[in-house]
Amino acid sequence: MAWRARRYEEAKRLAASNLELAWWIFMRVSGVLLVFLVLGHLYTRAVLLDFHRDLDYDYMVRVMNSATWKFYNWLLLFLSVLHGTNGLRYIIDDHIASGRARAWVKVVVYTIVFLVTAFGTLALWGWNYQPVE
Amino acid sequence: MYRGREGQWAFYLHRISGVAVLLFLMLHVLEMSSSMFGPEWFNALLAFERNPVFGLGLVLVAALVLYHALNGLRIILMDFTSWGVRYQRQLWYGVWVLYVLIGFPMFFTMLGYVFGGGE
Repeated sequence: MAWRARRYEEAKRLAASNLELAWWIFMRVSGVLLVFLVLGHLYTRAVLLDFHRDLDYDYMVRVMNSATWKFYNWLLLFLSVLHGTNGLRYIIDDHIASGRARAWVKVVVYTIVFLVTAFGTLALWGWNYQPVE
Repeated sequence: MYRGREGQWAFYLHRISGVAVLLFLMLHVLEMSSSMFGPEWFNALLAFERNPVFGLGLVLVAALVLYHALNGLRIILMDFTSWGVRYQRQLWYGVWVLYVLIGFPMFFTMLGYVFGGGE
């Protein structure tokens, strides 16, 4: 029990701010959710599905017309983007010593991630997929 | 503090796999979302990606994802249990046991799709 408190207390003590502590917790919570979401994604799209032959536009249309899969993919997209970008932020902070370079690398990374995520969100919620007749 | 032993490898592998998976995630979102451009574009893209080089890349990404997932659970056990840090090395071996049990059937199935005969 003492150890449990110590680990969390340690994170709390080391965190520069409440926001940093919130990210520390987010990485753990999203991590657990992502284990299930990502393994489920791999199982349905790379094990059950012969992705090398049976993945095509028609398959995409079926997925994009299912509210369940759209929600699943949206959750997967947002959690993995936030988890991945925050992880990369830790690495940037650890390995780029110059504050100026660090800031620029972050601006570039966040911009790319934002644009890609916006593109994915548009496909999920802003596009009407019609079956090819 | 790990002094180049298992914990150090676990840490670096976690970071390297994380960055690689994030890079793949970006490409994967672009690739799948480009289905908005219509069936002609998307089916042509998928035909191009049937090159086994992409198939092998996909198996590699799955291999990195699985390590990151299982070692991430190890990190969570280290953070939130009273015994996790003490047994971090044993937990890492546990990660590899699970890796083989879950990963090998998955990787072989995927390789079968990439290099198998199909219908």
